[in-house]
Amino acid sequence: MIELDQYLPAIAAGDSQVFGLWMASAEPILRDSLRRFASQIDAEAVLQEALLRIWQVAPRFEPDGKPNGLLRFGFRVTRNLAISELRRQKKQSPVDPGQIAETLESEVKPPDPLLRRVIERCRELLPKKPAQAIEARLHSAGRLPDETLAQQLGMRTNTFLQNITRARKLLVDCLQKNGVELFQGERV
Amino acid sequence: MNTPRDKALLIEKVANAWRPKDRQRVAYHPNWYDLADDERIEAFSATELQRKLEAAMDPEGLSTTAHAVLARIREAG
Repeated sequence: MIELDQYLPAIAAGDSQVFGLWMASAEPILRDSLRRFASQIDAEAVLQEALLRIWQVAPRFEPDGKPNGLLRFGFRVTRNLAISELRRQKKQSPVDPGQIAETLESEVKPPDPLLRRVIERCRELLPKKPAQAIEARLHSAGRLPDETLAQQLGMRTNTFLQNITRARKLLVDCLQKNGVELFQGERV
Repeated sequence: MNTPRDKALLIEKVANAWRPKDRQRVAYHPNWYDLADDERIEAFSATELQRKLEAAMDPEGLSTTAHAVLARIREAG
């Protein structure tokens, strides 16, 4: 397990680049915490809002001396926001709050250097259109909807989306052939 | 009801990190509402995988979710 609170002083001082480093490890864990809500709330939208609130509150956050204090705080922010969204939609919470500590201890991991090395080779093997589509999504970084990205590439939106799906499948297949498993259960 | 092809395309759209801008409330992807419960769970899984791939391909190790949040922070700052 890695200690993400090493980033806390810089985050509290307003260094957004360091908050990016924190998010690189925290995002998968916070996203996973929303799995049980996935049929009832837009987890991506809730996660982005939760990360923004964590950033806003970080300067006033006081660690309790236990590991990954900001992440545990972020967990509560994310869960509470999800529950608030359920209430807004008049739905019941499917989450057991008792699971939080166990999940944290088992899943804080540094980035996988093997994955980063192999995926670059796999990306070079992508056919032109899927490579263009996935590059457009990466370059956009959430700023533009798919209709706009497709238009910029001169593709129909449906063709663009099919190319994204194809690129993801090809990347996962290539990673698997090179001995990289992204998850214990396959999700494509 | 969505055809399997429509369903796959809608799931792929929802897997984009783009969300409408709304300062008053959490802004959902407009097509999220078009998905049935099981399709929303598929969209969650597709997004999870997509973000892991994105982070691995990004020079800073960030997914498009993290980049979108940083953009919102810098816009507000």
